[in-house]
Amino acid sequence: MEYDVVIGIEIHCELKTKSKMFSAGLTSFGKQANTCVNEIDLGHPGTLPTVNKEAVKKALQACIALHLEIDSLVKFDRKNYYYSDLPKGFQITQQFHPLGRHGYITIHVDGQSKRIGINRIHMEEDTAKQYHLDEVTLIDYNRAGTPLIEIVSEPDMTSGKEAAAYVEALRQTLYYLGVSDVKMEEGSLRCDVNVSLKPKGSSVFGVKNEIKNLNSISNVEKAIDYEIKRQKDILDAGGVIEQATRRYDETTKTTVLMRKKEGSVDYKFFPEPNILPIQLDPKWIEEITNHLGELPNARKERFMKDYGLSEYDAMLLIDNKELGEYYQEVMKTCKNPKLAANWVIGDLQAILSKNNLTIQTTCIPSVSLAKLVNMIEDKTISGKQAKEVFELMVQGKDPEVIVKEKGMKQVSDEASILAMINEVLDENQQSITDYKNGKDRAIGFLVGQVMKKSKGQANPAMTNALVLQEIAKR
Amino acid sequence: MDNKDALYFKKLAKQLMFELNDQEANEMVQEFEEFNHLLTHLASIDTTGVKEMIYPFEEPVTYLREDELIHVITQQEALSNVSNSQQGHFVVPKVVK
Amino acid sequence: MNIIEMLKDGNDQKHVVDAYELALKVQPSINAVVTFIDPCKQLEEVKEGKLKGIPVALKDNVNTKGIKTTASSKILENYIPVYDATIVKKLKDAGAVIIAKTSMDELAMGGTNLSAATGPVYNPYDVTRISGGSSGGSAAVVASGVVPLAIGSDTGDSIRKPASFCGVVGVKPTYGRISRYGIIPYASSLDHVGYFTRNVKDAALALEVLAGYDPMDATSSQREVPEYSKLINSDITGKKVIVFKNVLNHMNNEETLALFQRVIDGLKTKGAIVKEVTFNEELMKAILPTYHVIANCEATANHSNLDGIRFGNKQEGSDTFEIMCNTRSQGLSSSIRKRFVIGSYALFEENQEKYLKQAQRVRRMIVEEISSYLKDADVLIAPASNAAAPKIADVLAKHVEEDLVAENHMVFANFSGYPSMTLPMGYIHQHLPVGVNITANAFKEVDMFSIGSVIEEITGLKDAYKEVK
Ligand SMILES: [Mg+2]
Ligand SMILES: [Zn+2]
Repeated sequence: MEYDVVIGIEIHCELKTKSKMFSAGLTSFGKQANTCVNEIDLGHPGTLPTVNKEAVKKALQACIALHLEIDSLVKFDRKNYYYSDLPKGFQITQQFHPLGRHGYITIHVDGQSKRIGINRIHMEEDTAKQYHLDEVTLIDYNRAGTPLIEIVSEPDMTSGKEAAAYVEALRQTLYYLGVSDVKMEEGSLRCDVNVSLKPKGSSVFGVKNEIKNLNSISNVEKAIDYEIKRQKDILDAGGVIEQATRRYDETTKTTVLMRKKEGSVDYKFFPEPNILPIQLDPKWIEEITNHLGELPNARKERFMKDYGLSEYDAMLLIDNKELGEYYQEVMKTCKNPKLAANWVIGDLQAILSKNNLTIQTTCIPSVSLAKLVNMIEDKTISGKQAKEVFELMVQGKDPEVIVKEKGMKQVSDEASILAMINEVLDENQQSITDYKNGKDRAIGFLVGQVMKKSKGQANPAMTNALVLQEIAKR
Repeated sequence: MDNKDALYFKKLAKQLMFELNDQEANEMVQEFEEFNHLLTHLASIDTTGVKEMIYPFEEPVTYLREDELIHVITQQEALSNVSNSQQGHFVVPKVVK
Repeated sequence: MNIIEMLKDGNDQKHVVDAYELALKVQPSINAVVTFIDPCKQLEEVKEGKLKGIPVALKDNVNTKGIKTTASSKILENYIPVYDATIVKKLKDAGAVIIAKTSMDELAMGGTNLSAATGPVYNPYDVTRISGGSSGGSAAVVASGVVPLAIGSDTGDSIRKPASFCGVVGVKPTYGRISRYGIIPYASSLDHVGYFTRNVKDAALALEVLAGYDPMDATSSQREVPEYSKLINSDITGKKVIVFKNVLNHMNNEETLALFQRVIDGLKTKGAIVKEVTFNEELMKAILPTYHVIANCEATANHSNLDGIRFGNKQEGSDTFEIMCNTRSQGLSSSIRKRFVIGSYALFEENQEKYLKQAQRVRRMIVEEISSYLKDADVLIAPASNAAAPKIADVLAKHVEEDLVAENHMVFANFSGYPSMTLPMGYIHQHLPVGVNITANAFKEVDMFSIGSVIEEITGLKDAYKEVK
């Protein structure tokens, strides 16, 4: 039987702020346990929440960039449940009045564009981190209270690939906005996926299964693809899908049952009495809107337009925000955009990954790479020489200095190359004869001799052309 | 109106992370009846078209806390109200998932 | 001595040490204190300020850094806060010296002060009677002359009722006027921090110190704090006083009614325009159930943090849930647990419409009903209670019938957030105090104090206290 696949995604994204959502406690990652907390984060009696302005700003940036309608009267609610990682016995969230509603993001899959609806974005607070040892569980409240936005998609995706593209697109947008580190492996972006199947064309939704805490984009795709197949097999065999929460097991590459859902939990949501509704200043929202910064799609378009890059190259350059910014810097003094793009995408990235560096930690200044590309463009050095120069640039040296020290200057002066060619031809009469008798290989030998005479500095392309020209004259 | 038995309240208590013993649960049945009786004074009021009043004063505020202010306590202070800890962590028997 | 006299006299050391010693001395009789705080060290560091050298007591739900704060609950019997409540800082900055943490109903959820983990507080005027609650300990230490100022909190009428029973001034200012940061809550949208004194002038002065915007409390008001003590105006000619007639209709104690009539007559004599107003009776009868629903809903959530994991009287268990369950079962008294059950029931999604939301809508109707009259007047007055403090034995035997309106009307000021104050009106059965309650419009504490100061003249009960033998 044929099925329609229905996929919805909930993402929890930690906002990059100094202090917590509702307290002046420090946000942190990897700090000593329980050193970034205060009485509020620990849920001590008598403590009260106050709302972090920067967290609201970052949540607004996300809403605006993803085209959501903003509710400028900010309200919070309590979600009540007991768990050892939840200090107050409730989480402060925005159940009834999310900050933003009804937005979308555009994804590109197999050359097709598709809009994925975003149902809501709301602000809330993170829980503590627990470490489950053999006998005990250790609790570190450093993470408790970290600002989060929860981004809830519409059930608009139909494949693992689309879901992965959605998460990647969101990740990229949030990263460009600077609202989050979006590190899935460190948990600053966490992804829960709902998958259900229904008979093709049916308007009745099937029973969904939720796959919790997917920790990489590739796992999003793999987990969904597996889950679709699992549900399809059950349905094809005449079985029924039970609503459940599952997790993805990386070793078996399957989704594993965590718990069945018996009715939904009643979180007894009610408005948070300790936070009066906060009216956001429309001028502030406008200012944030006007200073969002360039988003990935806009940058891609601009790279294609301003630098004449192919969509593919532009895409590779925007994939990594800092790489694209590095490229822009290179292009401030560089003459050949395409060549510069090749160097940034290819050689630069390769050498970075080889040396365990990132674009932020590289010691090759953008201006140096620009010089290198310009020297190739000017025919000052050959492409082959450039690779040699580049190896030395990794040690922090200026390319012009390297070229000078190595005496590498490419000879592109026609008169001096011609002089050398004629010397070589005079000395190798036999090769001329061979060539005239149809032995093309003789050209290679002659060019090689010229290169040797020039100590490798003659422009090889030029030399090749001139040898042919001169040999014809004889 | 809503008649609930002792078992119902015992279960409800469990969700709130405490027990009601038999006597307490039985008292609860009685007190819940009294509570519901008292509530007739509330239920009888026609509130059609009235909005819930959640806060004593309802003019929205504009205050947001600046992100620059930081206040933390020491790890020792954080752990000062528990009798044991491990490597700076609060310790509980392993959470059974 | 009252605050003003102590300040004039200036003998800090003596006032504080006397207060501390008296507190110890009366403790066996009234049992008002949970923790005594040796004032010696504080005396060395007393700051210059409006309350320099004034001994004060704090209700035991006011967090004090390094000093046990129990909210009179077993679950917090070993809790030592890592921070000071905002008002503790304010008091210390003003020069006050804290000598005791006072008993209260467990987690402030009660009106008798019989539910404290340390046992009942006994009324200084008759130790067989209750002090009232939940701020009973603070009311009692002021009534017995131990301190001239004690902090309390008021969610229903938890300052104003014990003030009536103990014959002292009890003030609950406007919601948001005094920071709630660091006060162990009961129900956040109804909780007010307030205090007890023995006269109105002291009360006005105390508010100058305690009030003010606190960035740590998002419901705190940014309004300027006036110099209340200088603004009190005993010329009340033309002031409009409305009498809460519903309350009188529900009262049957002739002595109380006579004392109230004396106050009314006095106010008229002083030039006030007094008008009786009868509000919608159905709404007045709904005050108590409305309060119960809202307070229990907020309370059950507010106290979900009491799980034994990070603080509190942790009980062992084989897993986290068992720890929480044992801690809460043993640490919270059965009446508290039952209230949480009711609150939780009313919060269930399928019940919220009928319970919490209905209560919140009726809350609005009650507030609108009363404020529609109060907005054209300066104050609303009524007896704080029909009868004197009941006998402990009668309360325990459930022999005390509480009238729905007569004994619960003051909760209106918690719904509306309006400033409200009780002060002594006189004595019934010759020796038992009963109070009169004044409610003013939002942030109009000055009106409340002004009328209060005139009533003080009428009754002649300024600085009344009871020496405890
Ligand atoms: Mg969710
Ligand atoms: Zn969430």
